[in-house]
Order: sequence, then structure tokens, then C-alpha cells
Amino acid sequence: MRRLELDYNKLLCLVGEMGYRLMESGAEIYRVEESIRRLLLAYGVKQGEVFAIPNCIIISLTSPEGQPLTQIRRMPAHGTDIYLLERYNGLCRTLCRQAPPFDQALEQMEAIRREHRVYPVAIRMLAYFLGCGMYALFYGGSAMDGVCGGVCGMVIGLCLDLTSRLGANLFFKTVAGGTVSALTAVLLTALGIGHNQDLIIIGGLMALVPGIAITNAMRDIMAGDMVAGISKGAEALLIGAAIALGTALALGLAGLFMGG
Amino acid sequence: MDKLSYYLPCVWTFCACIGFSLLFNIHGAGMFICAGGGALGWLCYLLTGPLVHSDIIQSFFAALVISAWSELMARLRKCPVTSYLLVALFPLVPGGGIYYTMEYAMMGETSQFLSSLLHTLSLAGALATGVLLVSSLMRLFIIYQEKRRARQEGFYGKL
Repeated sequence: MRRLELDYNKLLCLVGEMGYRLMESGAEIYRVEESIRRLLLAYGVKQGEVFAIPNCIIISLTSPEGQPLTQIRRMPAHGTDIYLLERYNGLCRTLCRQAPPFDQALEQMEAIRREHRVYPVAIRMLAYFLGCGMYALFYGGSAMDGVCGGVCGMVIGLCLDLTSRLGANLFFKTVAGGTVSALTAVLLTALGIGHNQDLIIIGGLMALVPGIAITNAMRDIMAGDMVAGISKGAEALLIGAAIALGTALALGLAGLFMGG
Repeated sequence: MDKLSYYLPCVWTFCACIGFSLLFNIHGAGMFICAGGGALGWLCYLLTGPLVHSDIIQSFFAALVISAWSELMARLRKCPVTSYLLVALFPLVPGGGIYYTMEYAMMGETSQFLSSLLHTLSLAGALATGVLLVSSLMRLFIIYQEKRRARQEGFYGKL
């Protein structure tokens, strides 16, 4: 069949890149492993192994001549981009079905990156406003609390963008976000615009809570990837602690200055 | 009128989920599926309220509903489940719990701090268990389906 002209080094690079991009856009561990395994099968590799944890992917296969090949991809810190995730997942399905030549497959992958659509900053800020403001209302705040919560959300959004650009780690980003948001909330309440300081802060915090980490950790544990699940679970606890720390810092500072 | 304000949070959840789905770069119909899931989950939370009188159990049921909804939509649209689950679960994440726990810790009220911490952790646990249950069932179902397909192909030869 096609086995003769297959270049196993190229194949390894292709599946490595696919796994890397899937994980980069926020796929769960089992999805990454499953996709790579299926890709390898689609290209006719009988003996291929893959092991992934949240910051590393290891792929190994044995070519028909009996030569073992391995690739390791280290994952940097990454966010979640559902648009990319859906596109890469779709592409992976197509590749598994058609098994096109490598160049073509890589070209399709590049095309997805080129066509990547992100919302402009203004819309993102609006989304922060909407999301956090609505959560302030949701927890029982008044209309003005909603507006203040939205403002806190926008402040968090700006702060996260700024600290990401500086290359800060997740813990620091969350502490900084929690601090500025709580300071804004205290300020807005002191000015008499907002009424319930706690509800405003909670609304703003929803932009930071580790919802993704909890969900993904659970899904990974359920799929049997204990190492991945535990490290994501630890991440969730750490983020929770960072939120509390940041907010406490801000409230402490505010108390100091206002003589509360 | 009182009933209306009881169910009003579902509307807030819907709008908030739209906002957060923008942040995760979800485009098109996916946005409304997420928001619908969030609102549906909170509706379930509110509806089960008078029956069980425990917000942990309520969270669990809401997580079940959201998870089932997301799995269903993901199968229909052939997308990863995560895309819908992530945003729709947001209203169940105990953001308030984290805040009040922190506040008690700051005020030095140890017993209240501990009980609030445990409560927050159990809310997160309930959420996780709900999601886990549905996706385990879904996984069993998928494996069963694949096995059956494989057997049929065995019968009739590869189609």
C-alpha cells in the first residue's frame, strides 16, 4: 500500500504538531492522546504510543524497519480558544478519514492559523463588562451593582491583558486581577455608586474563577489520566487561593487607607 | 410577580454566559448553546430548590443537566464537549464561596472560615461529580456503540 513511500519522521512531526496545537487551544488530555492515536492509525502505524500531561506530549512510534522514533513537545502556558479547538478537532477528523499527503495536511493546519478570528479588544472588554456585571446581578445585586461589577470586570480584563503581555505566570496574574478588581469595587462603593461591595467583588471575580480547571481536571481523572487530573486540580486550588489572596490584599489596603 | 423575580437569575445567567463565551472566542450559534445551557442549569437549580433544600445537591442536579445538554449538543454539532461545558458551568462555580471564605479568614473567624471553606469545596465537588457522572455514562454509551458497529461490520463484511 502506501507504506513504501511513507516518511516516518515527517509523520511524527505532523502528529506532534497536531497534538501541540490541540492542547494549545485548550483540549483535554484524553482528546489530545486520542487524536494522535487515531492519526497514527489512519496513516497505518500499528505500533505508536502517546503520553501527554498538561505541559508535555511524548509521541513514539516504530517504523516497519524496526527503527524507533520519538518526539517530545513541551507545552508553554496557554489559554483556551474554543474557535481554534473546534477547527483543529474538525481537521483532525478529516485527516483521520482521508489521510492526505503530509504537506497538504500541514498546509491545512497553517490555513486554520491564518484564518484565526479573534474578537477585537473593544468587544472583549464589552464581554468582560457584560459577563461580570450580569453575575453581580445574578448574586442578588441592584442595577447599579451590576454596572459596578461590569466596570470591575473590565478592569480585570485590562489587567489580565497587560500582565499576559508582560509574561506573568497564572498565579501572579490572578492575584493582580483580584487586587485591582477589589480596589475598584471599594472605590466605587465609597463614591456611592455601588451599594453592595461584596456582590460587586464577587461579580468581578467570576472572570478569574477556576471553572475551566475544575471541569478539565474532572474530565481527565474520569478518563484515567490521573497525573493530568491531579495537576489541573492543584491548579484550580491554587487559582482559588490566588483570588482570595488578591482580594484580601485589596481589602486590607482599603481598610488601611480609609481607617476602617 | 414574586415568582418572576425568583426565576429572573436565569436571564442574568444567559446574558453572563454570552459575555463569557465571547471571552473564550466562541463564534456563532455556539454562543447561544452555551448561554442556553447555563440558563437551563440554573433553572434546574431553582426548580430543585424547594425539593431538596440543599445547595450542594441542587448544584449537583444542575451540573447533571448542563453536562447532559452539552454532551447532546456536542454530539449533534460534532464539536468537543468542552466548548459548551466550560461556559455553561460558570454560574455553578462557587465564586461567592471563595470570597466569603476569604472574608472570614481576614476577620479571623476560624470556625466560620472552616465551614465556609468546606462548603465551597463541596460545591466544587458536587459540580465535578455531576459532570463526571454524565460523561462516564456517555463514554460507556460510545464504547457500546463502537463495539456494536464493529460486530455488524464483522457480520456483513466491511461495508
